[in-house]
Parts: sequence; C-alpha cells; structure tokens
Amino acid sequence: MNQFWNVVIERFPEVVTRTGEHFILTGLSTLIATLVGIPLGIIAYRTRLLRHLLVAIVNLFQTIPSLAMLAILLVLLGKIGFAPALVALVLYALLPIVRNTITGLNEISADINEAGKGIGMTDGQLLWRVQLPLALPVIMAGIRTAAVVCVGIATLSAFIGAGGLGQFINRGLATYNMNLILLGAIPAAMLAMVVDGCLSLSERAVEPTPFTERHKLRYRLKPAFAILPFILFVSGMLLVLIGGARDDTSPSSSGEAVTVGCKNFTEQLILGELMAQLIEAHTELRVERRFNLGGTMICHNALARGEIDIYSEYTGTALTAILKEPATINPKVAYARVARVYKRRYDLIWLKPFGFNNTYTVTVRQLDAKKHNWNTISDLVPDARKLHAGFTSEFMEREDGYRGLKQVYGLTFGKISDLEASLMYQALAQRQVDVICGFATDGRIAAYNLLPLEDDKAFFPPYYAAPVVRQEILERHPEIRSALALIAGRIDDAIMQQLNYRVDQGHMDTRSVARDFLRGPK
Amino acid sequence: MMVKLEHVYKSFDRGKSFAVQDISLEVREGETVVLLGKSGCGKTTTLRMINRLVEPTKGLIEVDGRDVRTRDPVMLRRSIGYVFQGIGLFPHLTVEKNIRTSLSLLGWSKSRQKQRVRQLLDLVELDPDEYANRLPRELSGGQQQRVGVARALAGSPKYLLMDEPFGALDAITRDLLQQQLLEIQRKVGVTVVFVTHDIFEALNVASRIAVLNQGRLEQIGTKEEIVNEPQTEFVREIFAKPAGQLRRYRSLL
Repeated sequence: MNQFWNVVIERFPEVVTRTGEHFILTGLSTLIATLVGIPLGIIAYRTRLLRHLLVAIVNLFQTIPSLAMLAILLVLLGKIGFAPALVALVLYALLPIVRNTITGLNEISADINEAGKGIGMTDGQLLWRVQLPLALPVIMAGIRTAAVVCVGIATLSAFIGAGGLGQFINRGLATYNMNLILLGAIPAAMLAMVVDGCLSLSERAVEPTPFTERHKLRYRLKPAFAILPFILFVSGMLLVLIGGARDDTSPSSSGEAVTVGCKNFTEQLILGELMAQLIEAHTELRVERRFNLGGTMICHNALARGEIDIYSEYTGTALTAILKEPATINPKVAYARVARVYKRRYDLIWLKPFGFNNTYTVTVRQLDAKKHNWNTISDLVPDARKLHAGFTSEFMEREDGYRGLKQVYGLTFGKISDLEASLMYQALAQRQVDVICGFATDGRIAAYNLLPLEDDKAFFPPYYAAPVVRQEILERHPEIRSALALIAGRIDDAIMQQLNYRVDQGHMDTRSVARDFLRGPK
Repeated sequence: MMVKLEHVYKSFDRGKSFAVQDISLEVREGETVVLLGKSGCGKTTTLRMINRLVEPTKGLIEVDGRDVRTRDPVMLRRSIGYVFQGIGLFPHLTVEKNIRTSLSLLGWSKSRQKQRVRQLLDLVELDPDEYANRLPRELSGGQQQRVGVARALAGSPKYLLMDEPFGALDAITRDLLQQQLLEIQRKVGVTVVFVTHDIFEALNVASRIAVLNQGRLEQIGTKEEIVNEPQTEFVREIFAKPAGQLRRYRSLL
C-alpha cells in the first residue's frame, strides 16, 4: 500500500496529464456523438423507414468488440493516435444517444402532439417547444450512458497511442506492475463516477418541476445544473493544458524531434527506453516516445507511414508476420533477408542487432521436467495429451507458433487456453497450466524456476532484435546510427533476462533500468 | 353563416369505405351545435376536418365564407380554439405557460400575455395566484380541463371545437363544467361545435343537435325538434332508450 502511494506521488503530474487526456477523449467524443446523435434520432423518429435502418446501423457498431473496432479504424484512417480513438468512441457513444432520442420522442403521448398541432404549432415549433423539452430527460440519460461507456472504452485507446489513463494500465499489464494498473484504473473509475454524477444532476435539472416559493433557489439554479457537464468538460481541458510535465517528452523542447515507438511488453519498453536515451545522450535530437503500441502490425504500419521513426523488431517476427514468408532457421540468412526486403519495399533500415535471441520456447516447470525427464520438446510428445497448455493468442495463430509446432513435433495437448503474455508465467508457476510459450529472454523464467525445453528439431526461427529506422531520418541524421551502434551486440540473452526481471519482478520503472544499464561498466 | 359543410366525404382507405358520407350542415354565430352519435359514427372526423387536422376526401368546408383549403392550416388552427378529451396540456409547462403558448404563437407581447392569463383563469374559475405556477400533474382532471378550455379561448377565437371535452370526468364535475361552459359562452359569445356520445350532455349544452350514424347525418335540429319529431328510426331509438331508463329509475324510488 505504501509502495502504491509512493508511485502516486512520484507520478502525480503524469496522472494529471493522463486524466486530462482521458477526459478530453471522453468529453469530445460524447459531445460529437451528442451533436450528431440527437439530429439523427429526430430524423429517425420522423421517418419510420429510416428509423429501422439507422438503429440497425448504430446497433451494429456496438457489436464490434472495442479492440477490433480500434484495429479496423487504424486501417481505415491509416493513422495511430487521437483520431481513430475519437472516431471509435463516437461510434460507440452514438447508439445510446440515438436510441434514447427516438425513445424519448416516441414516449410523448399522442394527446400532447395532437394538442400542439391543434393550437396551431408548426412541426418545428412542436419539436422545439414541446417534443424536445419533454424528451430531454431521456436524451440526457442516453448521453450519460454514452459518456460512462466512453470513459471505459477510452482506456483501450492507449493501444493505438492515443494516450489517456489506459496508458498506465497497458504499461502495468505489460510489466506486470499492479501499482501502475491501479494508477490507471482508479482515476478512470473515479472519472466515470464524476461524469455519471454530473450528468445525472443535469438530467434531473431538465426534468420539469413546479416553481414554489420554498424551493425558489433550487428552481433558479436549475439551468446551472443543466450546464454542469459543459463546465466539467472545459475544466478537463484546462487540466490538460496546465497539467504537469509529460513524461514522454524529453525536457529539452528545442531542436528537431525523432519519434521512438515500441510494442506493449516489458522488453520492448526497455529497448525503446534504451534507444531513446542513447539518442538523447549522443545527438542533438529531441526524442518523442510513443510507447506501448498494441502489437506488431500497429508498430510496423506507424513506422511505414512515418508516424514513428524507430522501433525495435525481431527478425523472426518480421519475416513471418510482416513479410509473410516462411521462417528461416539460419540467423544470418534471416537478418540479411529482412534487411534487404525492408529497404526495398518500405524504405526502412535494419540496424545492427542488440545481440540476444528472444525466440519462443516451450517452457515447463523445472520440477515437472525433472520428474518426467523432459529435456527437449520431443521428450514432451508422449505426455502431451495429459497436459494443459497456456498460449498467447498470437502464438496460436502464427505459422511459427503452435500450428507449425504441432506439425513438426506431432504435439497434441490435452487442453489449450488462450492466455495474456504477461500472465502466463505466473499461471504456469501456480500450476494452472503445465506448458506455456515462454519468451527466451523473459526474466520470470529464472524467477519462477521454469525451464525452456531445447528445440531439438530446430523448429523456432531466430528472433534477434534490432532497431528498425526510417531511411529518410537516417539520411538526415546519420548520428542516430552511431548512437545506436553503442549497444549493438552488447545485450545477450542473460542480460536481457536480467533487465526484464528488474522491471517485471523488481517493479523498477523501465526508464531507470535503461539508465542504470547505460551507465554501467562498459 | 359562419361554418358550413357541403356534401363532405372522408375515406381513410382510398374510397373502400367512408367514415363520413355526404354531410352538409351549417353552424350559426353564437350557437352551440352538438354532433351526437355512437363511437365510430364519424363525429370526431367531421370536427377535425373543420380545422384541417383531417382533410376531406370530397366536399366543401367553409369558415367565415372562405374555403378552408385555401388557408394555411397552421394559421387556421391558431384562429380556432380546440379542446379534446385527452386535454393535452404540456406536462413540462406551468398552467400559465401552457396558456401563454397559444398567445405567443399569435405573437402577443409578454405583458399582454400575462394579463390575459389572469383574465382567462378567472373566467374558468381558477384562482390565478394559486394555480398559475402549478404543473398540470398537480391539478385534478376537472381543473386540467378548465385550463384546456382557457388555453383554447386564449386568443379570443370566434370558434371553439370541443371533442368530448368532459368525457373522462366524473358525472358531477362534468355537469359543473357544462354549466360553466354555457356561462362562458354567454360572456364571450363564442360559437361552439361540440362532439359527444352522451345524450344528456347534448341536451344540456346544445342550441341544435346533429345526430350522426355510420358517417351519415340522420337529422339536425333543436332539442325539441329532435326529441319530438324524430325523422328516422335511429333518432327515435336513441332518445327512447334513456327515457325508458328514466322510467325504470323512477319506479325504483
């Protein structure tokens, strides 16, 4: 608990900034959805044919899982960051608002509409003076639902680099740091409650109440309550503007910037920090960090489009996941191949590898290995039917993952569960599964007394990590190449395991782990 | 000659059947004409054609000697008061604002509106100080309907269309409001077209009664003419029944 407060105090300025970002993302998307949704609802209410169509369409958006929606928009908009996140949130927020606008208008009794028409109101007067005011509490309830849903879904937009409180949660998940997860989750929950509270106040304020002398003040204050959410939104924006220093930008704000990216797991975060700090220390460039991007394709596309300038990739991943070629067993051949194709096809340059090979391993508990005399993957084959495997979803689908493994070794496990990469080591140690697809450099392999089995049929292709840089930026700033060359070949499997361990188990932040390593004896 | 219907027809199914068939009648200045008939006889449809809430399929309707089809329906409705069973007070507006809505549609100034609201509430015998700031849901059914009448009379229209206005009220309140209506009418001299299925109500408020049956006009005339000289079997029967009921009721005492 103490430790948590330390984290809170230490990171407070960033919490403020992230909360502000979260707020803007949520507020702006709800605002846009309101401005679009209410007119849509009115149109739908007035033309029956359109109503079914519109409701069907907005319903459809709701059924798309949030992460899938972000991924789809990423491709459609061709961008990472704020824009696709905003569009996704607006699409989610539309349904409750459109639906409640239609419901609110539909609920008005025929008598009231008849009366309005009967005393000579035009359609517009009827809408503005009678129908909208009467539907307003229901519409406000819709806006409230939308806003709260947005606060929740906005945490996911950190996957595509849109910032917000999800960034803490992502980093916490990636580095298995509960404090960081709470640092994102608690303010997000509080934000949801504040938003809900404010909107429910204004929902009640738009409800008709009679004027009485006794409640004179409350009656007078009604308009103030009704615009409370708006005030809240503006104050959120101010919070961001005056919010403390952003941790992802370097202190010196002058000079040209280079953007370093990374995927959302510990090793990538450390490599990202290492590269960023080297560039900061050995060049005049300013570094912008766009870390924690949600996966290989997101990073690659961001790099190819120039939204980031550098991130570290693995030869095996590049070969199979990006170039869609069969894996190559010889590390040198693999490196030469990806370097050549990347340059020709994407104008991207592979710099010298860091040194370690973070390949997949079939990993079991040391105790079990001893008991059953397992040393190689082949040893596992006779017992496999009795075992429960926990693999990441990516491993399940990749050619160089479970599919190939099954073919080459003839492995068939009794049961397979999809597990999050950051959780599977613990699941194995706690005997919830018997086999996982561990990464060779993960610090938890040693920490939890796990054993990677030898790949005796040389199935797993090499995964040597190296910085991948845009050619354009390298030509403009050749000093980046020499800066990054300082750690080329200097991080072997054992060192990488150690660095990962410090973050995953030691709960140190990636920035200081990288700094300590760079300062260390050379 | 104030309101005039000539050979008016209305079909809601493109001529397969007629809700109103060949109705011709005239409503003279200052009188109350009651359209009397069972539900589904076309009396409400007939009424609603006068302020163009329903458009006739065939025939001519004139108000003040002008074909209503030549008038903007919105402007027409603003010049004619309309009260119906559902009352239709706007639930989000106070009594005062409900009444003022009609006046603001007519473009009255705010101070004139306020003055007029007090006058109207006095007219329907509701104390303005007590009721002006209440919401409709805080009123009884009878009070609500009086506000409905006040709203319909707000702009001093020459005509008042009333569609079973007291149908949802209890017998005592209904009777009271009928008396009030007669008094109001004496004071402001409005011409009324009144729809009801209640024979006693018809006898109570009518200058003349028009009996409708299955979309057709059976007979139109004063109460005495209708009761004493029924021209069709239908008219004779509908007045015979309550008379019989009355006899039985007396024999019980």
